[in-house]
Amino acid sequence: MNPLLLGPLVVALISSILALIISITDRIVNDYGEVTIDINGGKKVLTVKGGSPLLGTLAFQNIFVPSACGGRGSCGACKVQVLSDVGPHLPTELPYMNPEEVARNVRLSCQVKVKQNIAIELPEALFNVRKFKTTVERLRNVTYDIKEVYLRLSDEAIAAGGISFTPGQYAQLVVPPYGDLKESIQRAYSMSSTPQDKEHIELLVRLVPGGIATTWVHQYLKEGDTVEVVGPFGEFGVRDTDAVMVFVAGGSGMAPFKSMLNHMAQTGQWTNREIWYFFGARSKRDMFYLDEMADLATRFPNFHFVPALSEPKPEDEWNGPVGLITNVLDSYFKEKISKDKPMEGYLCGSPGMIDACVKVMTANGIGQDKIYFDKFA
Amino acid sequence: MSPLVHPITLLFASIFTSNILLANFLGMCSFISISKDQKSSFGLGLAVTVVMTITMVVSWAVLKLVIEPLGLDYLSFIIFIIVIAAIVQILEMVIDRVSPALYMALGIFLPLITVNCAILGAILFMQIRNYNFWQTLSFGFGSGAGWWLAIMLLSSIRKKIDAAPVPAGLKGPGITIITIGFMAMAFIGFSGMLSVQ
Amino acid sequence: MKMNFDERSAYEKMKSGVLTSTGFLGHDTRPLTDIIEADEELFKALGLDFDQVADRLQELAARGAEGLGEPITVDGLYLVKSDEARGRLPCPYGDGLYHKNSVSVERGDDRIIYSDLSLHLLRVHHFCQGQGSPFRLDPVVLKRICF
Repeated sequence: MNPLLLGPLVVALISSILALIISITDRIVNDYGEVTIDINGGKKVLTVKGGSPLLGTLAFQNIFVPSACGGRGSCGACKVQVLSDVGPHLPTELPYMNPEEVARNVRLSCQVKVKQNIAIELPEALFNVRKFKTTVERLRNVTYDIKEVYLRLSDEAIAAGGISFTPGQYAQLVVPPYGDLKESIQRAYSMSSTPQDKEHIELLVRLVPGGIATTWVHQYLKEGDTVEVVGPFGEFGVRDTDAVMVFVAGGSGMAPFKSMLNHMAQTGQWTNREIWYFFGARSKRDMFYLDEMADLATRFPNFHFVPALSEPKPEDEWNGPVGLITNVLDSYFKEKISKDKPMEGYLCGSPGMIDACVKVMTANGIGQDKIYFDKFA
Repeated sequence: MSPLVHPITLLFASIFTSNILLANFLGMCSFISISKDQKSSFGLGLAVTVVMTITMVVSWAVLKLVIEPLGLDYLSFIIFIIVIAAIVQILEMVIDRVSPALYMALGIFLPLITVNCAILGAILFMQIRNYNFWQTLSFGFGSGAGWWLAIMLLSSIRKKIDAAPVPAGLKGPGITIITIGFMAMAFIGFSGMLSVQ
Repeated sequence: MKMNFDERSAYEKMKSGVLTSTGFLGHDTRPLTDIIEADEELFKALGLDFDQVADRLQELAARGAEGLGEPITVDGLYLVKSDEARGRLPCPYGDGLYHKNSVSVERGDDRIIYSDLSLHLLRVHHFCQGQGSPFRLDPVVLKRICF
């Protein structure tokens, strides 16, 4: 045969045969068949197609383990305790684990592939987490850097019962690729809407310089856009006792408390408890919801709203308390809040603010175990 | 005609006298990079040995059954590379299934075995020296084992060197290459004992 | 110069839109090792030590944190504002998770912005961030601000 023909023909033939062998090997090696995932000792048993990472496999079955990076192994949020032996921790998991977690075989579910039947432990609350398709019903700037995002659930989600959560919980906003962002990520925001409003989710989003999600919300998101939200998550919430509640927040930390206070107004729950809400900001332009809070204070005599500015400008014409919120808190403890009843502290904000407030609270008679917080960490 | 060397002799010759790394200086880049970690060195050495043996035998078969009968010697390089690439790909998939931890540890160096000149080099030696089947098998396994031996030796030496006060300019690649040079000189001591052809 | 595997994956993570909106490279097109080497040389020329500078910046951040998110004056020289957001950021080199804080330090006309992650990158990886990054810790500016 003409060598010009023979050469390429032989090479092509050999390549095809090898490609075929690779294909067959791939099918054999990567076919894990159907496997079962046993959750919480038989509470829930899923039969799934094996081979994919645990995070995605569970999500496909509508069980949403929290994740911020979408399964790329860069956030460490998707930790799950795996009871079966799935091999040693991968180098991609170790940077996010402390020794105790390694010993308990806590794994990053985005890095562990489901190759055989496995048993895992998930917190009960996760079973209530759903993925909601929503539409942006309203966007409102409450300050120069905080946006109120009011989302309406899709018709199917509403028909399925809407969202159920307790005031204080947060949801994960799914940010789709935009601008330079090539793969979607998720970020957590406390929900400021109430459980009574089953058809909506409201979030307060503060613009963070360089933040992927907040930049998207403030500069790209428009009314009418569709947005996916996963939730509810979190253990922050009002404890069912008769103690006096002391809330402290600043900036977007207002969100869970708005939810709690509106829930109180709508259902009458907690109206017999004394509530003090300390809201700190720098100057008037960082303050918001003053009218709403004043209205609640008028309707519910047990609710006291204390907004404090640390550096009011002269044009603010501020007559309220002045100073760092921790100092205002301290002075109120000493002068205005009676000590004869047990107290509970609820905090929402940065770790720095929380640590400072915890110090003030413990110094004024609230036990550390009675201080609850939603740390921004 | 095939040379008259016995396969067992060839096995030892390819491990010691004509060590593909230390005598022929083939397969350097992953040698230098991975030898800083003993466990990965073990894994990579094993992978190279397996790839070397399998590709040598398959290439021999292709050489004898396709290339020589059809007179396609000028295509031998391309065909050998295709065979190597395919076998490495298959090995990658198998390693990923059997031991994901090893797969992660080897990282980019697993597909890099494809362009590891030691593999192609050994195959070309086989072609030039016209080995028969058994010679090919033992030469392939021996070359791989020799590479494995060399990387295990180097990683052990590097472990010791890490604790020693090496001058700043020589740390890392510098002292490693000097060490390899010494190892090569040491292996020259074997020369003449056994012949590869 | 070619980058090895770890450097390349760190470099990819530093691009804008991967870990943060603006990324860590600004509009610098140089390879990562070149950026780091150039800044290392600048540090040496200015007589600065990475650990020393990182310590000083950390100290300023701690003092600024007392403002609880509002700017406060430290030592009568610096205006420090320390902010925090929810969540953690991983280091592009994959060796740790850091709180998303943002410390802005002003002294005279100079202003730098950094976070726990920036300090880690500075101290351990000698990375000051690329030219044009809003969070770049330029050695010349650092010298003026810190000492």
